[in-house]
Formats: sequence, C-alpha cells, structure tokens
Amino acid sequence: MLLRAIILVGPVAASLALYFSLSLYVFPQSYQIEPRRPEAVITNVSLSTAEVKLEGTFVISVTGTNRGEEADMQIVSIGFPNLTRADNIEVLKHIFVQTPILIDAGKPVGSEYAGNGRPVDAQYASVEAFSRPWAGGSSYNIDLQVRPQTEGMFAVFVKSVAFPHSWDGAHWPHEGISDYQKEFVEVYHVQVTKP
Amino acid sequence: MNYFRQSPAQSIIGSSSRFLAGYVLVSLGVLLAAGGGSWDINNHLLNKPETFFAPPHAVLYSGAGAAVAGAVILFLTSRRTGATIRPIKLVVAGVIILVVAGPVDFAWHSAFGLDGLLSPPHFVLVSGMIASSVGALAGMVYHGSMAFRELRLHPLLIIIGVLPVWLAASGMIDMFSLPFSRTDYFDFNPHPALGVTVATLAFPVLISVLACSSSALAGKRFGVMTAVGAAFIATGMLTSIVPNGALVQTLPFYAANIIPFAAADALLSFSRSRISLYAAGAIVALAFFTLYYPLITYTYGKVLEQNTIWPSLMAPTYFKMLGTVMPLVVAPAAAMGILGAAASGKLIAKNKAL
Repeated sequence: MLLRAIILVGPVAASLALYFSLSLYVFPQSYQIEPRRPEAVITNVSLSTAEVKLEGTFVISVTGTNRGEEADMQIVSIGFPNLTRADNIEVLKHIFVQTPILIDAGKPVGSEYAGNGRPVDAQYASVEAFSRPWAGGSSYNIDLQVRPQTEGMFAVFVKSVAFPHSWDGAHWPHEGISDYQKEFVEVYHVQVTKP
Repeated sequence: MNYFRQSPAQSIIGSSSRFLAGYVLVSLGVLLAAGGGSWDINNHLLNKPETFFAPPHAVLYSGAGAAVAGAVILFLTSRRTGATIRPIKLVVAGVIILVVAGPVDFAWHSAFGLDGLLSPPHFVLVSGMIASSVGALAGMVYHGSMAFRELRLHPLLIIIGVLPVWLAASGMIDMFSLPFSRTDYFDFNPHPALGVTVATLAFPVLISVLACSSSALAGKRFGVMTAVGAAFIATGMLTSIVPNGALVQTLPFYAANIIPFAAADALLSFSRSRISLYAAGAIVALAFFTLYYPLITYTYGKVLEQNTIWPSLMAPTYFKMLGTVMPLVVAPAAAMGILGAAASGKLIAKNKAL
C-alpha cells in the first residue's frame, strides 16, 4: 500500500516540480524579449495658406511615418491651442487604419508618452489620427479643414508618438516647445485677419 | 396490445445517430463560436476593428449557424420520437438565445459603435453558448449511458462535448474579470480587485470541474483528461498566441501547461480514492494562471497598476508579474480546485442516479 502510494506520488510530484520550474524559471529566463523600437517622424506638414480671413478656412495636411520597427500604435496629433471645440475642424480625408478622433477641451487624453497610463484633461481642441498597428516603413496622411474663431496668430501644434514608447526616437519632435501633455510639439502658424 | 410500438427509450436508441449528429453539431458550433470570440478579443487588442463585419465575427456567427442546425436536428428528431429530454430543451433554449443575441449585437454596434467585452448582447450571446454546450454535453452523456448502460462516453465525444463548455464558460469569466469593457458610452469594467477575485476563484473551479468530469466520463482511463487539456491548450495557442506575432516565441511556455493535466490524469487513473480526486482537482487548478496566458496579464496588470500593456510587451509584462502573482494565488487556486473536484464527483453521481 505504502509502496503503491510512493509509486503514485513520486512521479506526480516530479511532474509538478517540472511544470513549476519550466513555467516560473526556465522559459521566462530563456525569452530575451526586447521592446520594439518604432521611430515616429512627421515627414510632411503643409498649410494651404499663411493668411486667412476670420470665418474663412484653411487646410492642413500632415504625414506621419514610422522609420523603425512595427509600432503597436502610432499617433499623429494635431492640436489647436486657439480652439476649445473640435466642431471647427473637419477631417477632409485620411488614410489611417482607424478613424481619427476629434478631441474637445476637457476630454481625458494620455500624457508624458505613457499612453492612457497618465491621463490629463485636454486644454484645447485637437485631432488624434492613429494606426494600430503601424508597420515599420509605412506612412499615413490626414487633411484637416480648420475654421479659426478669433483674429490674430492662430497656432497649430503637430507631434507624433509611437507605442511602445521604448526610446526617445519613439516621439517626434525630440526637443522644442512642450505642450500641456508634457510632450514636445512643432509649432506652425496661420495669420487670421479681419473679414 | 401493440407489440411493435416502441417505448420512448427504444425510439431514442433507434434515433441515436441522429441525436448524436445534432449534439456534435451544436458542440462544434459553440466551439467555433467561442474560438471566434476569443480571436475577436485579440483582434480588438491588436487591430482595433471598427466594424461589426470583422473576420472573427464571421467565424463566431458561422459557429452559431452550425449550432442552430444542430438544434433543429435535435428538435425534429425528438418530436418524432415523442421524447424531448431535458438536455435537448437546454440546447434549444440556448440556441434561441444565441439567435436573438446576433441581431441585438448588430444593433448595439450600430447604436454605440465599438463595444466592450461585457455588453448586454455579449452577455446574452455567451449565456446562450453555455446553455447550448452544456445541453449538448449532457445529451451526449445521456445517450452514451443508454448505449453503454453506464455513465461513459467515447473519448472523442468527451473532447467535442467538454471543450465548448470550457471555452464558453471561460468567456463568461473573462467578461467579469478583464478590463476590456469601457467604451465612450458605457463603463462596464469590473473593479480591478473584483476582476482578480473572479479570475482567481472561477477559473480554477472551472478547470477542475471539467477536467475531473472528463476523466470520470472516460471511466478514469488515462489519456482523456490530458487530451481535453491539450485541446484547450491548442485552442488557446490558435486564438490568443499565434495572432500576436510578438507572442509566438512563447508557445513552448504555453505548451508546458499539459504537464499538470497529465499528472492529474495519471493520478486518477491509478487511484480511485477521494483524496486522489481532490489532489487531481487541485493540480489542474494550479495551472490556471499559465493556462489563461496571455489575456490574464490584463486582469492582474490592472490591480498591479500597469495601466497600459501594449500587445508587443504582453509577454515580458506577464513574466515580470508571474513571480509576484503565482505564490499569492497557489492556495486559493488549489482550494477552488478541490471544490471543483468535489462538485464534479457530485455531478457524476447525480447523473448516475438518473
């Protein structure tokens, strides 16, 4: 009886020891999984005009590229610090995989290149165009029609962030002005004049 | 007296191949639907589809179609034999729920766009899958026991019957544990602590009940519990690991899950004691955290405050938390495994009495 129990328990215990050692130690140690290194770049920004009359519109075209490894997601963000509502922005056309999101001031957005891990409230209107996944070497473009609401200098903030954000090359630009999301942006201007 | 008139039991036996075809079709249909559902979850993680007409949905609803065909066969055959047994009623009810859930799901997508994992139509859909797959398994057992005159089933039928129940019930547990149910319109995400509690208690019970029942239905012969475990592992590989290229290299890690099943299977085939049954239940239940890799990373990641887990980083995130989580869940998982084994023993005894 005792011998039978030993014969039974021995192999079962050995199997469990094998399972736990494989699962907890051997396999996890054997996988050297390095985070992918996507490289986000804005390769083209063009404005239809440098000056627009109040109540008029202008078109901004932005192209983002991933020059690195495949990104789980890459965002091209176009912010409008002089607008609080996104209903003054219209997506004319885009070739992103998913539908771009129009963001009003007050809506929660990610920050500090951490995605949704550190949400903050948006301080102005913006458009987030993204592809999930975004293959290395591919580019996506978006054209927006914008209607400024006040006279003066109308600013446009452009940036791109790739995820996983595994290195500094995963965001563009790498330096310059930092926005409320504590992420660098490239600034473009359009002069808005009296109608 | 009409000596040629068959008793209900005789006519059921006479139509057994048609019944069997119906049950198998329902089980395979639910298997396809549940597999499609699992693929759909991964597709949402990787590709964020925005339309109802995605390939995983096509697989899911093809499976639902097969289940409908099986239910129709069962319904018509049972009407002809004049005996609609409880499992067939369960199958028909489940399939009706499935059929109703389809258009409701489409309407929900149309009204609210991208939906989360837990939504009213998804809950109804998975409930229908559980009811119909449990009904099909019970029906196979009923007809099998009439043929064998004991509670036994062919090993292949055990796999075909048990696997869809396992996948559908896992889908239900996923709904109440994974943080994938927040949309622009609704936030049905479970509280992180609740999600972890549900996963830690429900997955081990489910694994234990189904693994021990599979062994019992095979007359405790070695191999069947292992084969059922292998079928679940293969399904997990195909629907959750292979679609994410970053996880493919972890396939050997996932395949190691077969070891606890083989150990528990050996234990039950060599010893019929109650202690062996409980030990077997505990052993298979211990594997729940590795068996539900990779998606379980999100459930536990939420409570460990890893809010953003990118698909390409799922494996390193999981392996990082493995050492922390495993020691904490061993005791509750083993306890729930014992509970599941006891429940399985009761279930089988109850069926024998019937």
